[in-house]
Amino acid sequence: MSRSVLVVGEPRPTGLVPASREAVAAARLAAEGGAVAGVLLGGSPEAVTEFSRGGVTGLWVGSDASYAERRIDRWVPAILAAAKSTESEVIVLASTGFGRELAGALAVAWDAAAATSVTELTPTDEGLFVAMPVLGGRATSKLRLAGPRAVVAIRPNAFGAPAMSGEAAPVESLSAAPPTPTLAGRRVGFEANAASQGPDLSSASIVVAGGRGLRAPENFHLVEELAEALGAAVGASRAVTDAGWKPGTYQVGQTGRSVSPQLYIAVGISGAIQHLVGMMSSRVIVAINSDPGAPIFKIADYGVVGDLFLLLPALTAEVRKARASG
Amino acid sequence: MEIVVCVKPVPDAETKLRPAPDGRTLDLEGAKFVLAGYDESAVEQALLLKDAVPGSTVRVVSFGPPGRTEEVLRAALALGCDTATLVESPPLAHSADVRSVARALAAAVKKLPHDLVLVGKQSGDSEAGMLPTALAQALGHPGFNGAVELKFDPTQKLFTFGRASEAGLERWECPGPVVLGLQQAGNDPRTAKLQNILKSRRATLDKVSLAELPTLDVAGATAEAFQLPPPRTGAKWIEYKTPEEAATKLVRLLKEEAKVFP
Amino acid sequence: MPDFSLTDDQTSVRDLARKFARTEMAPRAAECDRKSLFPEDIYRKAWELGLMNLNVPTEYGGSGLSLLDQCLIVEELSYGCAGMTTSIIANCLALEPILLGGTPEQKTRFLKPFCASYNLASFGLTEPAGGSDAGALATRATRDGDHYVISGEKCFITNAPNASLFTVFATTDPALRTKGICAFVVPRSTEGVTPGKDEEKMGHRASSTGTVRFDSVRVPVADRLGAEGEGFSIAMRTLDQTRTPIGALANGIAQAAMEHAARYALQRKSFGKPIAEHQAIQIKLANMAQSIHAARLLTWHAAWKIDHGEPATLESSIAKTFASDSAMRVADEAIQVFGGYGYMKEYPVEKLLRDAKLTQIYEGSNEIQRTVIARELLRRYA
Repeated sequence: MSRSVLVVGEPRPTGLVPASREAVAAARLAAEGGAVAGVLLGGSPEAVTEFSRGGVTGLWVGSDASYAERRIDRWVPAILAAAKSTESEVIVLASTGFGRELAGALAVAWDAAAATSVTELTPTDEGLFVAMPVLGGRATSKLRLAGPRAVVAIRPNAFGAPAMSGEAAPVESLSAAPPTPTLAGRRVGFEANAASQGPDLSSASIVVAGGRGLRAPENFHLVEELAEALGAAVGASRAVTDAGWKPGTYQVGQTGRSVSPQLYIAVGISGAIQHLVGMMSSRVIVAINSDPGAPIFKIADYGVVGDLFLLLPALTAEVRKARASG
Repeated sequence: MEIVVCVKPVPDAETKLRPAPDGRTLDLEGAKFVLAGYDESAVEQALLLKDAVPGSTVRVVSFGPPGRTEEVLRAALALGCDTATLVESPPLAHSADVRSVARALAAAVKKLPHDLVLVGKQSGDSEAGMLPTALAQALGHPGFNGAVELKFDPTQKLFTFGRASEAGLERWECPGPVVLGLQQAGNDPRTAKLQNILKSRRATLDKVSLAELPTLDVAGATAEAFQLPPPRTGAKWIEYKTPEEAATKLVRLLKEEAKVFP
Repeated sequence: MPDFSLTDDQTSVRDLARKFARTEMAPRAAECDRKSLFPEDIYRKAWELGLMNLNVPTEYGGSGLSLLDQCLIVEELSYGCAGMTTSIIANCLALEPILLGGTPEQKTRFLKPFCASYNLASFGLTEPAGGSDAGALATRATRDGDHYVISGEKCFITNAPNASLFTVFATTDPALRTKGICAFVVPRSTEGVTPGKDEEKMGHRASSTGTVRFDSVRVPVADRLGAEGEGFSIAMRTLDQTRTPIGALANGIAQAAMEHAARYALQRKSFGKPIAEHQAIQIKLANMAQSIHAARLLTWHAAWKIDHGEPATLESSIAKTFASDSAMRVADEAIQVFGGYGYMKEYPVEKLLRDAKLTQIYEGSNEIQRTVIARELLRRYA
């Protein structure tokens, strides 16, 4: 039985958050042949192009700059207006920090069953069956979201984004002006991430993370160079952020970010459970460590034991060579 | 300042991971339930604010089956929270539906004076991260998740905090009442002192009974299966004589076997 | 008959000690052992959490726990590091004479300020020329008006290098043997009190141990505990209280040894399978488990009797002796399970053997305990 599905696109300065494109794939599964509309609030022209060619059947755009503040009391009414216009029964978002904020608010405002971090989605007559990692990626939970409405936030890298189509879907403007904020709170400042040249840690498809094995902050560039060669995001263990070698935003683990990239390379990280719960759901894990007994090797797919000060430059050079030759 | 902290009992780190006999959830038979992770940080942050603003009160609220919920409420009292409220849950609720949890908690929070409602960014078990904004929506308050560097300015009566986005850190200010999901407290969670632990065992807990709650639609999201990944068999070791050989072998494996090379 | 299932209170108190032992003590245990460090920050934290003056009633600023509850805590702490535990519980031993022999005024005067902040106290009974024969002690207390003048030397005193308060036993007349002994409270700041340096020990190296010299130390009569000549009784009744927790301390060492051995046996392979599947190793592990279980029940039973005001000299001596011998055996077998690795300092089990050894010696050697046990036994058939 087909149904209409709405995808909420999350803009970023250079277009769409990658997981929003992947959300279209999940939405198509949920729609079972029904319409898959997109809604984009406050995105750049590049985002409109990317979204409208990214597999949706139609795109609703709210172009007011005020959406950039990411106020839930503006976004939720606008999303619900789009859901109403498209008669959608399911709303799909990217399970980013903001995506989860929206999912929670939408669950109550739209009176819908909701799930985040979704990695699998199967529509049935009894509702949407969704799967998500729980307990730090050590287990998978499957939920049934019974109708009539469901909100699903999908985990980055879990669904392959549909191929870009040559033809853009029809784009319509949301008729109403952005909803006036009804709740208190003011955004008073913004501190851009320092030189965020690499991809975002939470949603990157490759992460290279460094730990105490690097011995000193001045050696961390070895990790950054490998990450750059791979087009990967840079992460760190708690030992590194606690020691102040890298800011807390780099931390992967229980008290930092949870990541689930296609490839996770742990360099000089012994693998305390604190760290493991933040990266165990990565698809492929490579560990490079001088201690063959390090717990990280128990969960790694590939292990390299040795001197990382020799191994890393060699690996970076090899990666550059391999990518240059395609 | 009147602070309410909402916490969730989660099985402790030593709980053996295996499906319950019905295969739907984690087997919680014999599990020990604790105040942990982001919830522990939320309690810590509430107590830090209480220390900073004299005359403040911290009230802790939890929703769930009585035994385990009592445990975390007492743990929060032992840490220094002033009162504890247990919100009863239907006996068979898997409480996988965030609406039900948010509405039940909102019913309890509404009865308590509150300028700030603090919640952990996500629970230690299901890790959905939806409750802070769901609760805010249910209360009709502004709500944000992933807050860092939370401070209170007593002269302007404003909460200030950071909210991370992909591009950087937004700075927000908001008067109470506001619901905040906390990413990190100002310092590591404190440990309860022995005397306070013993005192908390004898404290009276307030109760909000099922009869006082809105009808909870537990059928909305229900647990269907709990699965463990196939055990990782341990790393495939890369044997090598020179670092260059290791690099070549690894890149080849990532390309040809794992197929994750960019 | 006690059923020995723990109450919720006991479980939560034990969990506090368990968490502290595993997160604060255990990670530093190896380093403190190797370098013989006295981790004062850990002891301060133990005091802050209420894990230090366990036996002192809450009205004087202690934790006011039953002996059984103390045993639960001591076993958990000792699992983390026996040496640190010895230093943490030394206050219980040193302050017990004040609790048993002190007037309400003395308790308020000494215990309240002492327990209100982090302070260490030492129990000064043992002397270089005699340990178990406490009646033969040579430290003299000579009455001089409203003071006593104390001269002599104490040795093997736990925490002496770091203590701010001493309970000291001295005789007014050696000829009176036990009847001449008096108990005193002596602040370290008193003129003539000279603690010696920290001794190099085989085990319990995170604890400090030293001599204390008393050179004509003037102690007010008001600081004598109990009547003149009551000191020996105070010392013996103190040891009746503190002997049982030494059993608990030994049990913590044994538990740690068994767990290390079991985990290692599951992971280490020989002849194509984990050594845990070899019967020789299974028998070792089974013996360890039996021994620990028996020792723990003996310890809890002795503590329970004392908590209920019943005479328990026999039971507490049996518990201390059995548990400390058991800890030695279990630690020894744990090393055997580890084989050559067990003998290496890089692995944790050889420390446990060195730590276990002391539990057979201090707070009444196992020989004197057996003398006591036999005396109690024979009295019944005489």
